[in-house]
Amino acid sequence: MASASGGVLKTLNPLVKLGVCLVWLIAAMLVFNPGFQAATIMAIVLVLIFVNRNSPATILALIVPFALFGFGMLTTNLLFRRDSPFATVLAGEALFASAAFSAGVTLFLRSIACGMISALFALTTDPGAFVRALMAYCRLPPRLGYALFAAMQLVPDLAAEAEQMRLARAMKSGRPRRAVPGPREAVSLVIPLLAYAIRRAGRTAIAMEARGLSPGPRTIANVPRFTWRDGAIVVIAIGVTALCGVPLLFGRA
Amino acid sequence: MRSAPPPPERTPAAEWQQVEVRYPFSARAAVGPLDLAIQPGERVLLLGASGSGKSTLLLTLTGLIPQSIPAAVTGRINIFGADTSSRAPWGWARQVAHYFQDADQTLCGMRVEDEIAFPLENRAEPACSMAAAVSSAMREVGLPDAWRRRRSSTLSGGERQLVALAATLAQDAPLFVTDEPTAHLAPAASRRLHALLTSRHPDRAILIVDHRLDELVEGIDRVVVLGNEGSIVATGRPRDVFRDARSLLASLGVWSPVSSMLDAALADAGVAPPAAPLNVREALAHLEPGTGNPDSIRKARPAVAAFLNSRTARPAAGDSGGRVVAGLSKADCAPFLGPTVLSGVDLEIHEGELLGVLGANGAGKSTLGACLSGHSPLRGGRRYGQLGGIAFQRPENQFTAGSVSEEIASALPRKTVDPEREWRVAEALAAWKLVGLERRHPLALSQGEQRRLALASLTAGDRWPLLVLDEPMAGLDAEGAARLVEMIAALARKGRAVALITHDMDLALRLCPRSVVLGEGRVLAEGPTITLLRDRALLDRAGLCEPSWAEAGRWLQRAAAC
Repeated sequence: MASASGGVLKTLNPLVKLGVCLVWLIAAMLVFNPGFQAATIMAIVLVLIFVNRNSPATILALIVPFALFGFGMLTTNLLFRRDSPFATVLAGEALFASAAFSAGVTLFLRSIACGMISALFALTTDPGAFVRALMAYCRLPPRLGYALFAAMQLVPDLAAEAEQMRLARAMKSGRPRRAVPGPREAVSLVIPLLAYAIRRAGRTAIAMEARGLSPGPRTIANVPRFTWRDGAIVVIAIGVTALCGVPLLFGRA
Repeated sequence: MRSAPPPPERTPAAEWQQVEVRYPFSARAAVGPLDLAIQPGERVLLLGASGSGKSTLLLTLTGLIPQSIPAAVTGRINIFGADTSSRAPWGWARQVAHYFQDADQTLCGMRVEDEIAFPLENRAEPACSMAAAVSSAMREVGLPDAWRRRRSSTLSGGERQLVALAATLAQDAPLFVTDEPTAHLAPAASRRLHALLTSRHPDRAILIVDHRLDELVEGIDRVVVLGNEGSIVATGRPRDVFRDARSLLASLGVWSPVSSMLDAALADAGVAPPAAPLNVREALAHLEPGTGNPDSIRKARPAVAAFLNSRTARPAAGDSGGRVVAGLSKADCAPFLGPTVLSGVDLEIHEGELLGVLGANGAGKSTLGACLSGHSPLRGGRRYGQLGGIAFQRPENQFTAGSVSEEIASALPRKTVDPEREWRVAEALAAWKLVGLERRHPLALSQGEQRRLALASLTAGDRWPLLVLDEPMAGLDAEGAARLVEMIAALARKGRAVALITHDMDLALRLCPRSVVLGEGRVLAEGPTITLLRDRALLDRAGLCEPSWAEAGRWLQRAAAC
């Protein structure tokens, strides 16, 4: 999680960050070069640690699922690529020099790079500000926007509700609550949680209606504005992307 | 204080004409037939027992019933002369601000300042006036500026209720409708809320449903009492209703202010005040030592002493150092997925003891209860003793079965088989007065019935020597609360240790000989409840208030000195 002090990136307009991240994602998808992907990952990690003040442990924890996914891509590429020389490699050729391995490594790094670009957006963006910006600038219907707000509140509440349900069940059985729910316990929570979510959604809909949420004209408070910082971040992002592309030159040479 | 309703010829702010509401598949009407008009600027208190239709009546006002909640509504409902059905419910938000009992029914999941601005956005207010309105509402309710950017989901239940109140006040509507606004508020916050509702904007009409009446009745113009059939059985000025209809209110199980009960005690002693009192000071004004009739004072003294004794807990066997059931040593307590809210807690609870846990909203009372019971891991320190059971603040979270009988049966040890299982269920149903509800779904019960069922299932298995009861009286009518008080006292008499988390100082004093007061992230004080609640500096520091009848205690001291 981003710390409170890592506020510079959080002051940027979420739509600008979204645009920059989307362009970076497209570049990561199109540029099939391990150097570019590695540089992208490194750049994001440095930004998160030194600008957004995220702990290295948090970043490592975020990389793990993307790395696992990427590792799956790597092994699939090695084993099942149509012209895979894996068998011949096993017979004596250099594994690391093979085209399949090189492609697999690029795919592995690309998975992490795409994941980290998404993480950069998520860790530096207030979801409420993002929804407000979408309503103000992208014509997201307010009824949908406020439904998203309600859903954001529901997620932690669902977790707390699930804890209370687990505690109630544990007390029924005369035992302390387990630290981690077993598969049977997790499955047994699905229906009650769904019922809770439906009840809660109904209450929230009534509350919003009582407070005047209507299809008519409206204003939006605390809309993120565009400032010179947003322009600056676009320029910096282009520069960083270009720097990440430096390995391409070496690749051609 | 206002003493008479405004002239009746003005167009009523709200009006129900021959209104009857019937829910689908229900044999009887939930409300009505009923006629009621609220004048502009009038403050009306709506009373009634659980299930008398108070909340239903409120929801019909802007058409939430039947347009959003299905029910058959007959008759006519007007807001400032216009038929409610002429607009969708959202179309009345400029005229009616609706403050629900549950903050989650008001808040939408945004940051605090955005929650408060939401109704203003809906009516397309410009950004600059919104900012001013948000600041003003926060100031009025007493929300710290540091909360502005906090997400409402990170606040405690009581804190959320304060934010919901600020959000509703920001609507600045000429008619304010509120359903049990203080049910989850600490005394100081509750007092501030009542003051806001009754003194702010004299032109604003208020329709309020509440059980905490002691600070409220002085600012009320008219009381309307709904009977158990959903129709009006009494109406009039608070002074008249609480004296003339006292026995009717008691028979319906409706709350009365403590001044009304003291009035009755003084009347029994033959020294009733000349006018029906709205507070304890008024009730005893004619008996003031030095100015009052000495003979009357002499007659009143035992009556007031008996009145106070009936509201003060006496130490039980467990309070004087019985076996320790559970304890915390240098404990750091935190809620689920939350930061540490209490540090360095040292606390023990004994067999047969009723321990009060007091504190302002967000002080960490529920967290302490969960840690004391052993169901929430400590961030630091040590817990010792036996595990406890918790009765949650919302009893509906406790239920896991599809009927009342199954709920109790599922709490029995697995090895229990018929016929023992059957008679133990029957015994619990009888003990907790749930006979006749065996086949009902737990969520279809009233608040009082749900709380009794939660306690029945907790105690049925005889598993828990320690029970933590989290706000057990919230939302109960007077009869339900009285019944629960007896049952909780009986649990302690049978040797169980009971930790009672409450915002109700009268209840704490009545049930708990010893209490802990939480605040500033720690235990501020621990000791006899009566001593703690006499310490004004402590009460101010902890956001608490003295019991509603404290003035009677001071009168007794003055009268005894004469």
